[in-house]
Amino acid sequence: MAKNKLTVGFVALTGCYGCLLTAIFNEEALLELANVVNIASFPFIKEKNYEGKFDVLFVEGTAVSQQDKQHLIEFRKKSNVLVALGACSSDGGVPALKRFVPKKTFDRLVYPKNPDIADLHEPMRIDEVVQVDHYLPGCPPDKEQVLTFIKNAALGREMKKHLYDNPVCVECRSNGNRCLLEEGRMCFGPVTRGGCHAVCPSNGLECWGCRGPTSDANLNKMIDLLKEKGFTDNDIKQRLLTFTGIRFNEIRQMNVEWVPSQ
Amino acid sequence: MGTVTINHLTKIEGHASLTLKIRKGKVEKCELRAVEGSRYFEGLLVGKNYNEASWLSSRICGICSCAHTVTAVKAIENALGIEVTQQTNQLRKLFTIGERIRSHATHLYFLVLPDYLGFESGLEMAPRHKTEVMRALKLMKLGNDIIRLAQGRDLHPISTTPGGFLKLPSQEELDNIRERLQDALPDAETTFRLFSKLNYPKYEFPTQYFSLTSGKEYALLEGDIMTGNKTYRQADYRDYMLEYHDGDNTANFVVKEGRSYMVGALSRVNNNKTHLRPKSRKLLASSKIKFPSFNPFHITVAQAVELVHFIEEGIHILDNLAIRNEKPAEYKVRAGHGIAAVEVPRGTLWHEYRLNDNGQITYANIVTPTAQNLRNMQDDLQEYIPGLVGTGKAKLVLGVEKLIRSYDPCFSCAAHFLKVKWE
Repeated sequence: MAKNKLTVGFVALTGCYGCLLTAIFNEEALLELANVVNIASFPFIKEKNYEGKFDVLFVEGTAVSQQDKQHLIEFRKKSNVLVALGACSSDGGVPALKRFVPKKTFDRLVYPKNPDIADLHEPMRIDEVVQVDHYLPGCPPDKEQVLTFIKNAALGREMKKHLYDNPVCVECRSNGNRCLLEEGRMCFGPVTRGGCHAVCPSNGLECWGCRGPTSDANLNKMIDLLKEKGFTDNDIKQRLLTFTGIRFNEIRQMNVEWVPSQ
Repeated sequence: MGTVTINHLTKIEGHASLTLKIRKGKVEKCELRAVEGSRYFEGLLVGKNYNEASWLSSRICGICSCAHTVTAVKAIENALGIEVTQQTNQLRKLFTIGERIRSHATHLYFLVLPDYLGFESGLEMAPRHKTEVMRALKLMKLGNDIIRLAQGRDLHPISTTPGGFLKLPSQEELDNIRERLQDALPDAETTFRLFSKLNYPKYEFPTQYFSLTSGKEYALLEGDIMTGNKTYRQADYRDYMLEYHDGDNTANFVVKEGRSYMVGALSRVNNNKTHLRPKSRKLLASSKIKFPSFNPFHITVAQAVELVHFIEEGIHILDNLAIRNEKPAEYKVRAGHGIAAVEVPRGTLWHEYRLNDNGQITYANIVTPTAQNLRNMQDDLQEYIPGLVGTGKAKLVLGVEKLIRSYDPCFSCAAHFLKVKWE
């Protein structure tokens, strides 16, 4: 293990492993990356995983179980810089949608478990359990941002908590897209943190807010605008709560009743 | 020898543990446990609009997010009676193939090969085996680029919707991908030769090999279910597949007619090898390893031959595709019930939805490949482990891990659909 190299780890709570793949899918840079930093822990692709102290530890997934919470506390203890990788970790992600869904919709799926993986009362984004130094949000996060982050860390550059805080619309416009909102579609680009190259609107899909609200998001105005366009409260809440509902709900409380009639 | 517990199995997707209790050379206990928390996707889907099923369910799994996407839209289309065009179907095949190339290349080179070459990881292997690692990365990149072309990004597809695509690739982009598939064909063939010559344990565990089958092609997006010489209709899956609880065991498994069965590349090649494209069929015929094979370690050989086949298939699709500017098919939203099964990297994936008059999902059931393979993996381990007893703990653990990794399990997928019961 050469000196001066950053000791980096990639670990997961409960998630889909997509964020970890995002790191690996920097195919052309992966081997160079492994030379520049010491990838000391990455259980998805490594058998031997370092247990000591990390300079930078990337954490994927939502804390949904007692075990996740325990692991997360250990991850924090052994890392100088803890990075929330992806929507689940940064903002709760799809698993945290459970916080807004009536219990009876998933009652049939609950089963007895080992106490270790017993459900937490509510799924949590990781900064509800430990302090987080940086966020690389998104479902999935942008793979180039993972690289940029590691490069900056290796060079000892100062970084903000979020690398990017402009709304999705900025990149969407510069991509030359037609505005989906103007076409009458429920796009949350104006209130959502960009840095994703506006990849969804550029491929024909409205922004669902997967990177969470910008620090100055005017959600009330956004919701009024969508209502003017004919969307119902329920339409808006359903969409907004899907990926980063915990964050949006902190700006404006949304009680959801969406169990369909049979 | 006592109890051996591997708390965190590595080089697989998701979290799983294995506990073995061995006394006087006999395996008294063998428990493969998914130690993932629960995300309750089938519950989160309830109340959602029908057209959100694919975007939501893709989040079940990063590595097979295209698989969940295409299976979800097909089940929804079945519920609403939507017919898609030939072009939509071919493009769906294409990105499914992209995912197959990426998934198999990742599994073969990063999760399996290091075990056989004596390294802890693909990263550690890279300095000594740069050619192999670069080949893997080239194939993974090709797979990702195909997916990005059809879906906007590597994982968690964007452009697929019931009825078709929100955005279509250009002819120029497709032509470029065709060239790259052609260029990668020799890499896939080399991969097959490499994996057909690895030193696999001489071992057999005959089981029920379960896959889609089609009279006209190597089944991918449609077909009947086949095991042995019997075929079954997809729509009747509850008649022959059972998700059940076993009081003596930790996980809830899926069985077919009371017995464990295997899904995935080995089942597909065993069942459908006559429909492989010419180069892959020829390679398979020239190999010392013969199919049908009952050796679970040959799952990787089957994946390698699929790598060649699906690159050939991709070229074939693109040779016959002149892209037209098609909008998604039009349809009426109504109440309905739809089931779809698709062959995805790790086996047959099932989605089932019920919709109300407003098109809201009232019921969702998802059966993943790993959930189906789990009982078979456990039965297989029971059979395999006695032969390893006496070789020492390190060899035993490596042997067991190799067998588990061979199945390419995805516990992110499985855990949430296994009704785990603990002692």
